[in-house]
Amino acid sequence: MSTANPLELLPGKIEELVHELAVLPYDDMHYSGAVTDPTVLTNYVVWGLASLVAVMLAFILVANRERKQMRLATETGDATALAPAGRFVGMIEAGVEFIRGMATDVIGAKDGPRFVPLLGTFFFMILTSNFFGLFPAGKAWGGAFGGAVALALISWLVFVWVGFAKNGAFGYLKSLIPAGVREMNVFARVGLGSFLFLLEFISTFLIRPLTLSVRLFANLYAGHVILGVFTAFIALFWPVFEPGLKATVGGVGAGLVALVFLVIMYAFEVFVAIIQAYVFTILTAVYIQSSVHASEH
Amino acid sequence: MEALVPGLTAIGKSLAYGLAAIGSSIGIGVIGGKTVEAMARQPEMAGKLQTTMFIAIAFTEALALLGFVLTFLL
Repeated sequence: MSTANPLELLPGKIEELVHELAVLPYDDMHYSGAVTDPTVLTNYVVWGLASLVAVMLAFILVANRERKQMRLATETGDATALAPAGRFVGMIEAGVEFIRGMATDVIGAKDGPRFVPLLGTFFFMILTSNFFGLFPAGKAWGGAFGGAVALALISWLVFVWVGFAKNGAFGYLKSLIPAGVREMNVFARVGLGSFLFLLEFISTFLIRPLTLSVRLFANLYAGHVILGVFTAFIALFWPVFEPGLKATVGGVGAGLVALVFLVIMYAFEVFVAIIQAYVFTILTAVYIQSSVHASEH
Repeated sequence: MEALVPGLTAIGKSLAYGLAAIGSSIGIGVIGGKTVEAMARQPEMAGKLQTTMFIAIAFTEALALLGFVLTFLL
């Protein structure tokens, strides 16, 4: 083992890494194969519930604090008591303001506020669980394909439901055909209209939820694999982690390079975690907007 | 022949993702560049342009992601 080329050990490390990222029962890391029993608590579910509890706790604490401040302000008539109490409260307030601004900007001032709770839940839940996925041994809810699909399905149900509720079943389906085609002569309406209807139907009802879930999953999974591969490089090149290896100048140097890249990629993954939460939320808002204003298109 | 299968599969997987990424990366580059141009021209619109840019990137990115998924399905 001591004379082996460290790179020969890499495929084994990659296999370990993929196993580490798989959905496993939380108390049995050596489980092999897919978990099919829905009653089994998996590692992703445990970490997802942890992020859910974290978000709920943060918001309940902040809301209580603000209610107390509100009461104090109305009793004393002192408006300065309404100032955000500390950095954490200010951060949460800024986040809520950001979501409210997004909802009114994208969906519209009239229909937007109704969707602030949904968009806020998506944003904070995905953001928190993405950050949890960046802890060593932590799991991001969207890092399992099933988790990302569940989130996308909620978004899909909402925008389809809003489309049908706002425009009626016939109105919503009719709006899938562009308005310009609807004003053409009867041949164009039947020929081009039915083709475009099919295209728009597939893109709205099938491709949207697919890309929504795949985008979240692929970004997180790819990020975790990249971090894992650089970590595996360090583990392979530094004898501290692989006792059988002989320390060489080249090996230690290569490990150092991998460490530098690991830090850079980690910073990039923090950026990706924020961006993906933002993109998921704003795309949900855009889809809801297209359903709300379907009859105008 | 049998011995070649794992290697060829690996090459095929890499090609599936690599080729899928070409178009998307060009598209995202164009979007980013045009957004910077627009921001330089009208800095007061920067916020709105950024939002639109992220939406456009999200749509463009979708095809590369399909390639990424295909890599795992192959």
